Amino acid sequence: MAPVNAPPPPPPQPMEAPVDLAALCREGKIKEAVEFMSQGARADPPTFFGLVSGCSDPKHLDHLKKLHDLFIRTPFRADLQINNKFIEMFSRCGSMQDARRVFDRMPDRNMDSWHLLIHGYASNSQGDDGLQVFEQMRRVAIQPDAQTFLVVLSACASAEAIEEGFIHFNSMYKEYGISPGIEHYVGLIEVLGKSGHLHEAVEFIEKLPFEPPAVIWETMMTLARLQGDIDLEDRMEELLVSIDPSKVSPKKIPTPPRKRRLGINMLDGKNKLGEYRLPPVIVRPQVKEQVYVPDTRYVLHDIDQEAKEQALLYHSERLAIAYGLISTPARTPLRIIKNLRVCGDCHNAIKIMSRIVGRELIVRDNKRFHHFKDGKCSCGDYW
Amino acid sequence: SFASPEEAAAERRRRKRRLRMEPPLSSLRPSPPKPQQRIPSKTAPNPNAPKLPETLSALSAKRLDLHNRILTLIRENDLDEATLLVRHSIYSNCRPTVFTCNAVLHALLRQNRHADLLSLHRFITQAGIAPTVITHNLVLQVYCDARKTDTALEHYRLILKDSPFNPSPTTYRILVKGLIDNNKLDQALDLKDDMLTKAFCPPDPIVYNSLMSGALKSSDPHKALSLFEELKDKLGGGTVLDGAVYGNLMKAYFNKGMEKEAMECYNEVLGVDSKVLFNAVSYNSVLEALSKNGNFDEALRLFDRMNAEHDPPRRLAVNLGSFNVMVDGYCALGKFSEAIEVFRKMGEKKCSPDALSYNNLIDQLGRNQLVGEAEELYREMGERGINPDEYTYVLIVESCFGVGRVDDAVGYFNKMMEVGLRPNANAYNKVIGGLVNVGKLDEARESFEQMVEKEVKPNITSYELLLKAFCDVGRVADALKITKDTLMDENVVLSTEMKELMEETLKKEGREEDMGKLYEEVEKEKAEALARAEEEKARAEALAKEEEERIKAEDAAKAEAA
Amino acid sequence: AMSTFSSMLVAGVLPNSITLATLLSACADYSSNPLSLPLGISIHALVFKCCPDHGLDDVVLGTALVDMYAKCGLINVARRVFDGMTVKNSVTCNTMIDGYMKCGEVNHAISVLRQMSNRDKVSWTALINGCIRNKLFEDALEYFREMQAEDIVLDYVIAIAVLAVCANLGALGQGLWMHCLSMRHDFRDNIRLNNSLIDMYSRCGRVDLAFQVFTSIRERNRVSWNSMIVGFATNGYSREALDHFSMMLKTGFEPDGVSFTGVLTACSHAGLIEIGLKHYDVMQRVYGIVPRMEHYGCVIDLLARAGYLEDAMHLLERMPMKPNVVILTSLLAACRTHGDAGLAERLMGYLVELEPDCDSNFVLLSNIYATLGKWTSVGEVRGIMKAWEIKRRPGFSAVEIDCGIHEFMSGDRSHPESDGIYDMLDILGSEMKLYGYHPQAIMSGLPLECE
Repeated sequence: MAPVNAPPPPPPQPMEAPVDLAALCREGKIKEAVEFMSQGARADPPTFFGLVSGCSDPKHLDHLKKLHDLFIRTPFRADLQINNKFIEMFSRCGSMQDARRVFDRMPDRNMDSWHLLIHGYASNSQGDDGLQVFEQMRRVAIQPDAQTFLVVLSACASAEAIEEGFIHFNSMYKEYGISPGIEHYVGLIEVLGKSGHLHEAVEFIEKLPFEPPAVIWETMMTLARLQGDIDLEDRMEELLVSIDPSKVSPKKIPTPPRKRRLGINMLDGKNKLGEYRLPPVIVRPQVKEQVYVPDTRYVLHDIDQEAKEQALLYHSERLAIAYGLISTPARTPLRIIKNLRVCGDCHNAIKIMSRIVGRELIVRDNKRFHHFKDGKCSCGDYW
Repeated sequence: SFASPEEAAAERRRRKRRLRMEPPLSSLRPSPPKPQQRIPSKTAPNPNAPKLPETLSALSAKRLDLHNRILTLIRENDLDEATLLVRHSIYSNCRPTVFTCNAVLHALLRQNRHADLLSLHRFITQAGIAPTVITHNLVLQVYCDARKTDTALEHYRLILKDSPFNPSPTTYRILVKGLIDNNKLDQALDLKDDMLTKAFCPPDPIVYNSLMSGALKSSDPHKALSLFEELKDKLGGGTVLDGAVYGNLMKAYFNKGMEKEAMECYNEVLGVDSKVLFNAVSYNSVLEALSKNGNFDEALRLFDRMNAEHDPPRRLAVNLGSFNVMVDGYCALGKFSEAIEVFRKMGEKKCSPDALSYNNLIDQLGRNQLVGEAEELYREMGERGINPDEYTYVLIVESCFGVGRVDDAVGYFNKMMEVGLRPNANAYNKVIGGLVNVGKLDEARESFEQMVEKEVKPNITSYELLLKAFCDVGRVADALKITKDTLMDENVVLSTEMKELMEETLKKEGREEDMGKLYEEVEKEKAEALARAEEEKARAEALAKEEEERIKAEDAAKAEAA
Repeated sequence: AMSTFSSMLVAGVLPNSITLATLLSACADYSSNPLSLPLGISIHALVFKCCPDHGLDDVVLGTALVDMYAKCGLINVARRVFDGMTVKNSVTCNTMIDGYMKCGEVNHAISVLRQMSNRDKVSWTALINGCIRNKLFEDALEYFREMQAEDIVLDYVIAIAVLAVCANLGALGQGLWMHCLSMRHDFRDNIRLNNSLIDMYSRCGRVDLAFQVFTSIRERNRVSWNSMIVGFATNGYSREALDHFSMMLKTGFEPDGVSFTGVLTACSHAGLIEIGLKHYDVMQRVYGIVPRMEHYGCVIDLLARAGYLEDAMHLLERMPMKPNVVILTSLLAACRTHGDAGLAERLMGYLVELEPDCDSNFVLLSNIYATLGKWTSVGEVRGIMKAWEIKRRPGFSAVEIDCGIHEFMSGDRSHPESDGIYDMLDILGSEMKLYGYHPQAIMSGLPLECE
């Protein structure tokens, strides 16, 4: 039996702001949380951390900025974890400027702070800035660790800095006594592959002092696919599957046989085909496209005067079409409405445009419809 | 080549700053905030101005979808659609990345579609898609394949001047190989020196190997040896660990009569403790060096070893070329059945012969009167879907002539044209020569006339063959006609031998003065033709001038009217 | 009704307000009759006489009065009556809005609407339809949006009005959206709505979608057929237009003037001169349809296009009505194609009378002279244009992206994505040159027709 004098259970406390915020944070309602906080609601460090972690998309950048404004007014503004989280999330939102500001204002930093900043630069195509941060790190004599080199290599890949990639990679062991792990080799392969040095990357793999594990072939396969080399992609896949049969992709379409001979036939000098074959004729395409003779004229010279003059002919329908083009997916039709009659020159121009851009261009002028398609107009040039 | 990362970084940054790159035109950020209005300049932006290419991170979302879609098209071998989709996507809210463009360029290259490749490259350049080093390498490869090495070098200089990045080792390999293939050893050597001074990439064994084979081709084994020494030196003096160079090194020794050194080198780099890495190509080179220099037994042993090591996909020690070398080796020894046998074994190693390999064997068989076997191989090509090329037909034609099967020879020649191949003057000369040899002069001349009809330009050999034949049988009128045709043809020059032959023939007939007459006649006709051309040119110019004046007058009138 | 009324008066029966209201609405309905207004005024006088408070607190009567005055064109009087009314209901206001809209006084109409406390769907319909009548299509869409914000249930009348707006603007996105909305309101089988959809899609250039709607209609009426035929015809699908015309006949519908407009348009688009003339003949002889302006227009266009300029001109002069601008301009354009300056000059005579300040005709004329090399005449035309202070009408083009309409003027740089647009034009320009395009305007320095 309960004692009669027992105090009554405490009345339910009014919902306190931190509790409320934590809930919002859990539900991912960052916007609402930020609004409450701008109106004075206070958040505790874990909530702050949670809220910041929620801003993972560039569209959350504004919330993140507001959170940071609020954060620097809190008593725990020096909190290392939260500051690091800010660096990470600003990077993810694509604003390295803000990430850098957080970094610069931090009273003390740990290795993570440096790593996050360099990594942020690397993943935002600002690898060069990342490398400069690493230079700064070395200047202030911070001893890099294995993780540091991973982010440095990713910065090199982003900046297409191959020489530096090798220099840093080699300095790992020589200067800091860190033996590179597989992930560092992968990092270096990415430096080469992302810079377009695919063959060089493969040669690097072939000279590795150990049998390459699946992850290396997989990395290389992805790089080959992204760089558009299907032959290399297939070869890498073959190697990958030979090590890890689970990686086989059933939907793979086999590559069509190549026509170009590779220099591996060892019949150089015996290939007398050229001696008996006429040089290939370049068949004019059905349209009057300028026949392309293999020379560098177009690379060496500016486009000529006439082309510029015509580019200056900016009639309203052409502007509308151009805007339509840059705003819609390829091959979808465009509809233009014009208040006056379309002029002969534009009519002619739009006919050609319809063929070049591969779209149907429907122009309604003040008199009739013109359906332009494949270089022809439904009006039969009479309007 | 840099002492510190800072130095390397400084150099890289300098290069980019120097070119004051524009940021890449990207559809990822549709409206970059630009405060100033675009100034309508009289000069449109130069599409060739250097730009920074996009990075791989641009390949995401919609643009990655497009990339994958185009890769699928490439795999389905629908290159027309892939090319068209790239072009059409330029005119859309989802521009293709340079990587997608490279994929299509690469696919066009592997199908030998040079004109389409260059046309697409022109298009993307104009559309402001900044090239990567891969783009450049693909274009250089096309120029080299099309034997336009000067254009390739010009393009290379342009990369050095304008590009925000350096050429890759592959760039040099392509260029050097292209130059060597076109017998331009000196230029190739200059390029190698340029590569070393610029220090964009380390001394490359593959580049050196190409140079060495070039030196061997121009019968300069000494140069090949010194190139090897240079490479060894540049790499720090130890053993060169890349097996690529050793085949050519051995050939150089053999060519210099230094058999002992050659075999010493062989035993060393392929010995048990050797650290030298060999792949199929490197092996083939050594295999060839052995087989062509009287060490076929050793070649057979090496071939066995290669086959034993072959463990695809990880270890590729044998390829199509290995079989070709062996076929050559057997043929050289007259062991044709063994040659055919080894040729047939290719399939066991997942190698399939190409037209070139077939041509090689057909050539050997034909030259040794084994026409039946050659024809058998020719038929087999058709069955296996390997298209015989012009050279295949020329070989068969030659072998038929060789055994006196004249009608079959002509039949094969006609077949070649039926299947849409395009023989040139050299191929025609084979038929003309063959017919002449069996005394069928009129048929020979018909072939000649057919060639002219098909707009194939005869070369001096074509004329020589006929002239000699007619002179031999004393058909002076026909011989004179050929001489006149030769003189009228602007693409050839009448050789001294031909002139002498004609004069002698005339002399026999007592018609020495006819030669002079012929020259006069030709001069006259040439002058007439020239006059006609002049006249036409003048007329065209007058017309153009008239037109110009008319336009001027109209403009003036319009100005007044306005 | 009038005569009954007269006898009523004669009989000394004082009309009550209901009688008067009925009469007033009769006057309003026949506002084109010259007798309506005087009669209406006299009835108003009667109202003063017979009704308590001069009828000012009688809503029905007051509304009828407002309606009568508005329809007879005395909008200010209508307003005075309106203002004088002590009791108004929404019908009164709607009548007033309608009246203002008929006179083109859009702002007044809107202010009436804004003052209404109890605006209903009729008010909005009146406003939107009024905007359409006054060619304020964007405004119409804007008010439609506002209307929806007030949670007013959509009815098919408004849906049709909005579809008309979309058709005029070529706003396909909005039109598609309206289509979906209509389906959600289950107007699926509403024939008028479906016909409007056909019209909207055709006028947005999407004949395929129009045809889809057409095939989905269970019971088509003549308007459906007509809309489809005209849709095909104006979009250049002449074959389909003619096929559907014969299908319509087979299905048993009697063609009317509109059907023939479609058929003749199709023929003129495709240059089918013989078939066109045959239909023109059949229309008059078999169906006894008296040709209207648009029929003449098509036939004249048909003749002119085939080069029978004199025949066209002859028909033009024989027309029972005065030719309108559209016909004259199309003939003028044909003169340019066939290089007939003499006829063009004659046409200009008509045109200047009808549309003295239209620049495009002058430009067209000067173009004709220019093609013929008559530079002095070109100069004269320019001189006239200057002397008469004829301003060039600005050309603009619009493109719809994601339901938003973007308008451009020539050389426009006001668009936020101007840079991208001009970059695209540069790329297109250099590519087009490779395809053999050379701008005429640069070469000849001619005035551009359209801008």
